[in-house]
Amino acid sequence: MTDHEVLDTLSRILGELLSADSLELTMETRRSDVPGWDSFNYINFIVAVEQELRVKFGLAEIESFENVGAIVKQIQRAKAR
Amino acid sequence: MLFNSYAFVFGFLPTAAAVFYFAGLRSRIWALRWLILASIFFYAWWRPFNLLIIGPSLLVNFVAAKALMSRYVRERRALSSSILAGGIIFNVVLLGYFKYANFFVDVTNDVFQTDFILAQIILPLGISFITFQKIAFLIDVHARRVDTLKLQEYILFVLFFPQLIAGPIVHFREMVPQFRSLTCKFDRTDVSVGVTLFFVGLCKKVFLADGIAPAVSSIYDYASSGAAVSFFPAWIAAIGFTLQMYFDFSGYTDMALGSARIFGIRLPPNFDSPLRASSIIEFWSRWHMTLTRFLTAYIYNPLSVALTRRHLAKGGRLARPMTVNVFIKLLAFPTLATMFISGLWHGAGYLFIVWGLLHGAFLVVNHSWREFGPRPHSPLQRFAKAARPVAFVLTGLCVVGSMVVFRAPTTISAAGIFEGMLGVNGWSIPESIYNQLGPLAALLGTVGLSPGLELALPFQKTLVWLFMMAAIAMLAPNSLQLLRTYEPAFGWKLDPTRRTFGNWDAWRPTAAWALVISLIAAAGALHIGGESEFLYWQF
Repeated sequence: MTDHEVLDTLSRILGELLSADSLELTMETRRSDVPGWDSFNYINFIVAVEQELRVKFGLAEIESFENVGAIVKQIQRAKAR
Repeated sequence: MLFNSYAFVFGFLPTAAAVFYFAGLRSRIWALRWLILASIFFYAWWRPFNLLIIGPSLLVNFVAAKALMSRYVRERRALSSSILAGGIIFNVVLLGYFKYANFFVDVTNDVFQTDFILAQIILPLGISFITFQKIAFLIDVHARRVDTLKLQEYILFVLFFPQLIAGPIVHFREMVPQFRSLTCKFDRTDVSVGVTLFFVGLCKKVFLADGIAPAVSSIYDYASSGAAVSFFPAWIAAIGFTLQMYFDFSGYTDMALGSARIFGIRLPPNFDSPLRASSIIEFWSRWHMTLTRFLTAYIYNPLSVALTRRHLAKGGRLARPMTVNVFIKLLAFPTLATMFISGLWHGAGYLFIVWGLLHGAFLVVNHSWREFGPRPHSPLQRFAKAARPVAFVLTGLCVVGSMVVFRAPTTISAAGIFEGMLGVNGWSIPESIYNQLGPLAALLGTVGLSPGLELALPFQKTLVWLFMMAAIAMLAPNSLQLLRTYEPAFGWKLDPTRRTFGNWDAWRPTAAWALVISLIAAAGALHIGGESEFLYWQF
């Protein structure tokens, strides 16, 4: 999957969770940039992504993602395996 | 050794720094070894016996980490997970024995009406913090975030004296790279920033926090005896303790950050003016930040991820609007569980558990408002700005109320303070003030105001002190903002959305600032020596 494809999927999933239709994530987006993306919605988001893209994140990864780009990279790594 | 003792401020700290930089001229290896030696001395000062508990525990964790890093274990997932689990259990059991054995016996006695007695176990200093730090370390090693591990670096990471007793709770990845790149050469900026932070913290602790402590204590003691506390003293006790706690613990943290910086090391931020928060979620992101970080990463997240995965696997949905049922299952439960553990960690006692659950409940209410209240784009958001003061006051009331439970030695005293705050026990003020009210007194008398305070309290002085502390906590730049030009804490940056007043309040190495800091240092140093301990050392 390309960066763009993953970003599209992530934006749609988060948009559904936060009921924000026109949400667009970039590689640099951080949680604090998106209103309402708190610890609870973050976990919802991570698990929803896991289910949709058939990947699984480790706890240490979940804690350490600095921005959306890091999540995208991790998904691509997991997919390549 | 207490940070706010003559022995530390004028003996240990200058000596440790002087020898460190002197040794650094010759060899950084010996400078770092000296730092280890100094840290051991610092820890042993209070009770050398503690070393016999911390030492072996340190070694067990080191061996577990080494095992986790070996290729043999890394290739075997189940084995590596069991070593991690074993390590965590070891740390928790050790803490459990020292901190909770007595409480456990008490609970058993309460529940089963038995009379077991256990010899009083003395808590090794700082074990609560050391335990959390080591658990985080093992998880990091297991997640392969630690590339190389040398015994000496590990010992320095665990024992580095500024963070040893009461945090901040640091990660290996924040500290060890700093030690690795440390030149151990004297640096004017590091030392002056460190000294500034240290004395600001000392002043917060011994001048402000200890200044209000006697008044607060006298009211709680009075309430403990079962006597009725009236409106004003009850509020003085509640708000006074909240401010005391803030200045005590954030002052302690500044001293920790300052001591570390004198050696060129930055510790992570732990306080960022939490009493200015306008929600409980925000409060916890600004109060004891490294604890919040630990609890979120290692208790809330694992629990919440597991529950959410199970929910989805069973065909559940996450899309909005969320049902109350899902909210309870996926948010309320893990939040309450996390804050229950937080309460228990703070102290082995029923009231600490109540305190934790209370904050858990506040957080759930806060989240339910986000979930079920007006959506981010709803027209009601127009009022968000106007509602901010209300949110601020509500948050403050929750924090102040919870602090009563935290401080009260017994349920009776907590109930007594709450009754007083609600006005159940009447409104009385000292006679001297009452007499000056003139005709107003008769008017206020009709709503129940009466002359004569029920307990001896320097009423006016305490009020002045309270207002001064509140003003500083609310309006003054905090110590991190003050030193913002010099990255006072690891990875800390000034929040650009926060209002600042130009740059005049940013510390610089100038004569004017030297004067200001000297005055603060003098105010602190002159108040050293009162019989006071850090509130957080008991944990």
